[in-house]
Amino acid sequence: MRERRVAAVTIRKVRKVFGKVEVIHGVDLTFQDGEFVVLVGPSGCGKSTLLRMIAGLESVTDGEIDIGGVVVNDFAPRDRDIAMVFQDYALYPHKSVYDNMGFGLKMRGASPSEIAERVKEAADVLQIGHLLDRRPGQLSGGQRQRVAMGRAIVRRPRVFLFDEPLSNLDAQLRAEVRIEIKKLHQRFGTTIVYVTHDQVEAMTLADRIAVLRGGVLEQFATPDDIYNKPASKFVAGFMGSPPMSFARLTASADGKTLAMPSGTVLPARGGLVMGGLSGGKSYDAGFRPEHVKLGADALPGGVNTTARVEILEPLGAETLALLTVGGAVLTGRFPPQAGVKSGDEVTVSLGAADMHLFDTETGRALVA
Amino acid sequence: MTAKLSSLERSERRLGIALLAPAFALLAGVVLYPIYNLIRMSFSENKLTEPWLAKPWIGFENYAKAMGDERLWEATWHTLLYVIVTVPGAVALGLGLALLANQPFRVKWPVRLGLLLPWALPLVFAGLIFRWFFEYQQGLVNNALIWIGLSPVNWLTQEGPAFFAICVAIIWKTSSFAALVLLAGLQTIPKSLYEAAEVDGASKWQQFWEITLPMLKPAIIVALIFRTITAIQTFDIPKAMTDGGPGNATETLAMYIHKTTIDSLDFGYGSTLAVLMFIASAILTSIYLRHTRRDPSAGRH
Ligand SMILES: Nc1ncnc2c1ncn2[C@@H]1O[C@H](COP(=O)(O)OP(=O)(O)OP(=O)(O)O)[C@@H](O)[C@H]1O
Ligand SMILES: [Mg+2]
Repeated sequence: MRERRVAAVTIRKVRKVFGKVEVIHGVDLTFQDGEFVVLVGPSGCGKSTLLRMIAGLESVTDGEIDIGGVVVNDFAPRDRDIAMVFQDYALYPHKSVYDNMGFGLKMRGASPSEIAERVKEAADVLQIGHLLDRRPGQLSGGQRQRVAMGRAIVRRPRVFLFDEPLSNLDAQLRAEVRIEIKKLHQRFGTTIVYVTHDQVEAMTLADRIAVLRGGVLEQFATPDDIYNKPASKFVAGFMGSPPMSFARLTASADGKTLAMPSGTVLPARGGLVMGGLSGGKSYDAGFRPEHVKLGADALPGGVNTTARVEILEPLGAETLALLTVGGAVLTGRFPPQAGVKSGDEVTVSLGAADMHLFDTETGRALVA
Repeated sequence: MTAKLSSLERSERRLGIALLAPAFALLAGVVLYPIYNLIRMSFSENKLTEPWLAKPWIGFENYAKAMGDERLWEATWHTLLYVIVTVPGAVALGLGLALLANQPFRVKWPVRLGLLLPWALPLVFAGLIFRWFFEYQQGLVNNALIWIGLSPVNWLTQEGPAFFAICVAIIWKTSSFAALVLLAGLQTIPKSLYEAAEVDGASKWQQFWEITLPMLKPAIIVALIFRTITAIQTFDIPKAMTDGGPGNATETLAMYIHKTTIDSLDFGYGSTLAVLMFIASAILTSIYLRHTRRDPSAGRH
């Protein structure tokens, strides 16, 4: 009944300058038809600016934005066939939910019967049929969020743009709506560009994640690759909860092992042994919390070392332990009833095989 | 309201009353007492030209006289015309100015000056300026008419043109207050609504009709109410421009009251007229207020 309307989005060497300040420094990205792409990064890194340039709400200083094979730099937002869900929802407060949802169709000259049909359809999908006569002021935050999504769905655009749509919801509702958004994407198959600074949202929703930092693209990859093959120390430290922790290690003269300041020696993993490391040079080694385990030989291929427990954070299913290990501060995932308390000296197993190494100057990952 | 107050609320309320008491006393002295006096006077004969008559209580005699007073009805009609023309006129012009002032101009002072100057100018002064504008011999308006090849108009000595000239002056003078009220209203409309409308496909004109105007409605009603109250009291500008002439053709209620009391020194009848004007003003305002209260989209959303 409904043809699938999607478009690929290509961003070519896009720059954005506000006054004299350059906030996007030449970003290249290609989003496939129907792909769910999440833009993440710390506050002020330019996520919203990039999204708003795709929407046409912000002009492009330099470079090209291409939607469905057409360069849309000079197109008004209404001519780009996109819909956007705003962080503050931007619902029209003086219009009913029905009129809010039907507004885009009305502005495009749709007949009242067509508007009625499509609003009803979208309202059914989002289960807000009983709210159609209300005004936004009479809705809860979660309901408003649904209406904002409904307004976007009704138009059946080729690309959905979301700017932190869940940031005004409480944690429980956020988890619920997150699943809902994923379902919507599966149902409509539309290309989605989704901005968030919540890395859990990014990991759970995205087909691919683009990590931005200071207006520069750090990495664009699947959640799996972002987590397991971070391209830089920044990405490694930004994605993952709790994030990766780091220790400064020094390579041995032959480049085959790395030593902690305390003297604990770790073998360099796999390919790095083959001339990847320069002898005597320092590297930042990153460990995911699951690769810092309590007990000797707890990890296959792990290296045992003593650690001092500084702080314990029991989470129920596990306990996060902040440890000082040979001069570095690392986070470990401990079993819930480990019987340790802060101040204890314990033996931990460091997952040397899963260790990530980064150049101390550029922050780029050394690929094994 | 019947709920019991905690001791904290009660002491807060007492403090509130104590703090407001001086203001109430002042208000009673300068507003309530004169109003009481005015009403009392309106039921008596009180002519300063004939002081030997004392000030006898004459009941509704002044009111009966007012009902049959041709000149009063004419002045009422003129005042009504000023209300009908200058209230929407000033609010419409004010809306235009507010929209202009809300634009992101790089140089802001010309618009701000244009907005504040008419407001800061004394009414009589504005009246005198416009009297000079519309002057027959050297007036700017007639000069402009001659310059574009039209014949000059005797603006201030003919009924229609005089009314027109006065309305122009009033609208110019009072639009800036409306503009200030509306500008404050405009600035409360979130920018993201316009962005959403832009994405939804609304043209600038549609954005104005579908977002700006409805969201501005409470501010527009406030501007209309304030403008109406002052329009009913129209006095200074026609006083300065035509002094009610030609004949009584541009005379307003306030001017007629002024003439009755100050020029003819008939305080009794003047008070009656003032009471009648006060009643008319109260009725008009309450109609507005009732309308605002009934409309759910006005006020808070
Ligand atoms: N209209 C503007 N004028 C000037 N500078 C701007 C403007 N909009 C954004 N910026 C600047 O551009 C940079 C990127 O802003 P942007 O809103 O895209 O960040 P963001 O990644 O969305 O951050 P957040 O997570 O806080 O929403 C910031 O440094 C911001 O100060
Ligand atoms: Mg943002």
